Amino acid sequence: MTDPDDTFGDEALAAEYVLHLLDADERRSFEARLSRDQDLRALVHRWEALLAQLGEDVPDIAPPQRVKTAVLDAVGPPRKTGRRFLPGWPALLGGLAVAGLAAIVLLTNVLGVGRDLEPAFRAELSSEDQSVVLVASVIPATHEIIVEPVAGTPPAGRVFELWLIAEGATAPVSLGVLESDGPTRIRVPDEIAPGVRTGTVAVSDEPPGGSPTGVPTGSVLATATFEDL
Amino acid sequence: MTTRDDIEAMIARVALRDHSAFSSLYDATSAKLFGVCLRVLNNRSEAEEVLQDVYVRVWNKAGTYSVTGHSPMTWLITVARNLSIDRLRARETRTGGIDRALDIVDDRPGPEEVAVARSARAAIDDCLDELDTARADAVKRAYLDGDTYKDLAHRYDVPVNTMRTWLRRSLIKLRDCLTR
Repeated sequence: MTDPDDTFGDEALAAEYVLHLLDADERRSFEARLSRDQDLRALVHRWEALLAQLGEDVPDIAPPQRVKTAVLDAVGPPRKTGRRFLPGWPALLGGLAVAGLAAIVLLTNVLGVGRDLEPAFRAELSSEDQSVVLVASVIPATHEIIVEPVAGTPPAGRVFELWLIAEGATAPVSLGVLESDGPTRIRVPDEIAPGVRTGTVAVSDEPPGGSPTGVPTGSVLATATFEDL
Repeated sequence: MTTRDDIEAMIARVALRDHSAFSSLYDATSAKLFGVCLRVLNNRSEAEEVLQDVYVRVWNKAGTYSVTGHSPMTWLITVARNLSIDRLRARETRTGGIDRALDIVDDRPGPEEVAVARSARAAIDDCLDELDTARADAVKRAYLDGDTYKDLAHRYDVPVNTMRTWLRRSLIKLRDCLTR
């Protein structure tokens, strides 16, 4: 483009990159450096944050509804928001069973037997087509999550991995890989345990041994939140 | 009022393909991002198309959001602004760089839309005030209007080299002001 004024070196170059002021050649060579230079990436991030303040000042303008419709269409059909656990008649029976269970819990509480060792809340993780259904129950006293497969197994050569996104967290935390053919008991680390009740659990399919990166790498089959039992 | 934490939580859930969180994220942030797209592109139908691309990008990239270390709005604004500038540059290539001043359109935000903006002045405004008006203006034009060095040189009637030196100095001054 021009003779660059190199007085400010990478600092200015990073700003120009963020502003899209570099010409094609400069941009390419900057990006090549960026891929291997962490300090340079940090400079770019800093300029992005600094200049984004100019964007914050731009007045809000509500886009027409059709954009939202198009956006939601573009990312696929909406997931059914959690199939009602035991719908219809079974729900009634389930209700009676829960009532019965509550009576038992009450009794055992009175007797002081088995208190706290019952699951206190539960989430049903079902994939959109219902081909995979898992039920996660939590025993708060022992910080345990028990995941029971109801339907479906992982694809051949893959495993299911359970994740938690605590309320307000910015990234999912792995709770562990699930057994492919039976219930899995997972002891949740103490520092994570308080966030389970209000968090979201998710199950993804991953290579054997679980995600190598610490975030889900395969498809996320289902997400759910817990409901008190 | 949606807080920063709310938006971060929505992004985390979007990373796990949570459609309802995605819908909430759209509701909470699309007016700001549409404002940015419209400001850069100055054309409603193009801004709508780019806004759609922005959210598809957000859907696909939500999992990598946390590694940027940005605040959620910084991240979203950066995505919206970058895709808008890409669109702007593509348009210029197509039209052979016809002066954009010719297609200033009337769909700039109306007065009532402007009035709802600006609850608090960002720190950057105070620092821009410390720059010479023309220089502050050049920084904004580069970011919000996608002006190139050539556009700016033409506007301020200086050689491109001079423009580049000018803008670089202004940027460094701005950074110094914001970090002191």
